[in-house]
Amino acid sequence: MAVKPQVLEEKEVYISPYFPEYVRPKIEDPGLDETIKRLTPEKIEKAYQAVFGKETARIKAIIETCIHCGLCAEACQWYLSNDRDPTYSPVAKVKMSAWELIKRKGKVEPGLVYHIARVVFTECNICHRCSLYCPFGLDITFIIGLVRRFCFLLGVVPQRMFEMNQAFMATLNQVWISQSDYIDTLMWREEEGMYELKNLRVPLNKEGVEVIWYPLAAEPKAGVYHIDRIAKIFQVAGVNWAMVTINDAWDSSNMPMFTRDFFTMQRIVKGLYENAAKFRAKKLVLTE
Amino acid sequence: MGFLESVALYSFLRGPMVWLAFIIFIFGSIYRIYTLINLAKKEKVVLPFINIKAAIKSYLHWLIPFASRNWRLKPYFTIFTFLFHTGLIFVPIFLYAHNALWYESWGISWWTLPEIVADVWTIFVIIGCIFFIGRRIFDPTVRFVTNYADFIFVFICLFTFLTGFLAHYQWVLPYKAMLNLHILFGEIMLIAIPFTRLTHMYYFFFTRAWMASQAASWKTKDW
Repeated sequence: MAVKPQVLEEKEVYISPYFPEYVRPKIEDPGLDETIKRLTPEKIEKAYQAVFGKETARIKAIIETCIHCGLCAEACQWYLSNDRDPTYSPVAKVKMSAWELIKRKGKVEPGLVYHIARVVFTECNICHRCSLYCPFGLDITFIIGLVRRFCFLLGVVPQRMFEMNQAFMATLNQVWISQSDYIDTLMWREEEGMYELKNLRVPLNKEGVEVIWYPLAAEPKAGVYHIDRIAKIFQVAGVNWAMVTINDAWDSSNMPMFTRDFFTMQRIVKGLYENAAKFRAKKLVLTE
Repeated sequence: MGFLESVALYSFLRGPMVWLAFIIFIFGSIYRIYTLINLAKKEKVVLPFINIKAAIKSYLHWLIPFASRNWRLKPYFTIFTFLFHTGLIFVPIFLYAHNALWYESWGISWWTLPEIVADVWTIFVIIGCIFFIGRRIFDPTVRFVTNYADFIFVFICLFTFLTGFLAHYQWVLPYKAMLNLHILFGEIMLIAIPFTRLTHMYYFFFTRAWMASQAASWKTKDW
C-alpha cells in the first residue's frame, strides 16, 4: 500500500512591510498584537526621546563606527541555525530596529514598532556573543537592549515576558511566591532532609555568615529538592551559610533585565546586596 | 580633458586644497575625539570601567592577523582586510613620490618604500577594494545591511589608489590629468574621514577599549 505523503499545512506568513526580506510565520501574541493598537505617534516619540533622545557616547560611537561588514553574523546562534538567513544576523537586527528608529527620529508608525519588538524580543537572546566577534568591539547587545527598553516603555512586549516582569514588580521573584510560602518551603525541606543527613539545618537569616545562598525562584516553587541538596552540600563541606527570607529580596534571577526594566532591575540587585550587608555575609552564592 | 590637465587646477589642488584637506582632517579628527570623550565623561559607567591592560591586549589580538577567532573563521577576509588597511595607511606615508613632495615643500623626509614593494602593495589595496565591493554585492548577509554610502567609501579609496598607480605608470589618461584626479580623490578622502563612518579609523580604539573592559570584568576574552 502506497503511503500517502503528508501534506504540511500552509502556515500563514508575516512579511514585514518595511523589510520585504523579513519573512516569518505569523504568531499570535496579545502582548504584541493588542498593545500596538493603543499606540499613538506622540507616545512613540516620547518613548524614543526617553531612550535615544539624549546623545550619549556609547550610542554615538556604536552607531557611527559600524561599517556594516557583517562579521558579527558568524557569532549569532539565530543566524547559524536558520541557514544563514541575512535577516537573522545581529547587524541586520540593529538595522531593522535602532537604525530605523534613529533615521526617522522616533517618528514611526505602530506597525514598525510591532516589527521592531518582534525582532528584538523574539530573535535575540542578548547573549553578547556578537559584541565579542565584532572587529570594533561594538556593543551590539547594548543597542538591542535599548530598543527593548523603548518597546518596554510602550508596553509592546511579548505577553509571557511582560507577565514575568509583572511578577517581579509585585513580588520581586518570578513565580509569585509570598514570604510565608517561601519560609514554609524552606522549613519543609529542612525537615525532609533531616531524614537523610543528621542534624541538617537550613539556617534562616543568620548573622555573620560566610555565605548567603540566593536560589532561583523556580527552586522553592518547582524544584524544591534542590534546597535540601544544597543544604547537605554546605553542611558536609562545613560552610557557615544561611538563606535570607526578609524584604522579599532572595530571588537571584533578574528577569527584568530582558525587558530592560531598569527600575525593577535595580530593586532586585539592591535588595540582594542590602540583605547581604545586613547579615554581614562575605560571599553571595547565586543559582545559575 | 583640458581643464583636468591644466596647471591652474594642479596648483589649486597642490596649494590651498592640501592645506584645507589637512586642516579639516586634523582638526575635525581632534574635534570628533574630543566630543566623544566629553560625552563619555557625562556617563557614569564608561570611563571608570576602562581597563587599559585588557584594552591593549584586545588591540593586539585584533590588529594582528589571525590572532582572534573571527579572523580565523574568515581567512580570505582577514588577508584582504589587513593588506588593504595597512596599505591604506603605510603606502601614502612612505611612498617615495610623496616623500619628495614633503621634501620639496618643507625640506623634511623619512624612510621610503622600495618602488616594487609600493607597487605590489598598491595592487593589493586595489584588489582589497574590489573584494570589499564584491562582498557587498554578492554576500547576502552583507548586502542586506549595505547602503550607498558604504560603496562610496570603498570607491573613494579605490579611485585614489587606482589613479595614483596609473599616474605613476602614465597609463590610460595623460599624466597630468591622472595626477590631478589622484590628488583630488586623496583630498576628498582626507576631508571625508571626520564626517563619515571612516571615523572608525580612530573610534576603533575607543569602542574596542570599552568592549575589552567589559569582557575583562566578566573574566572572558573578546577575541
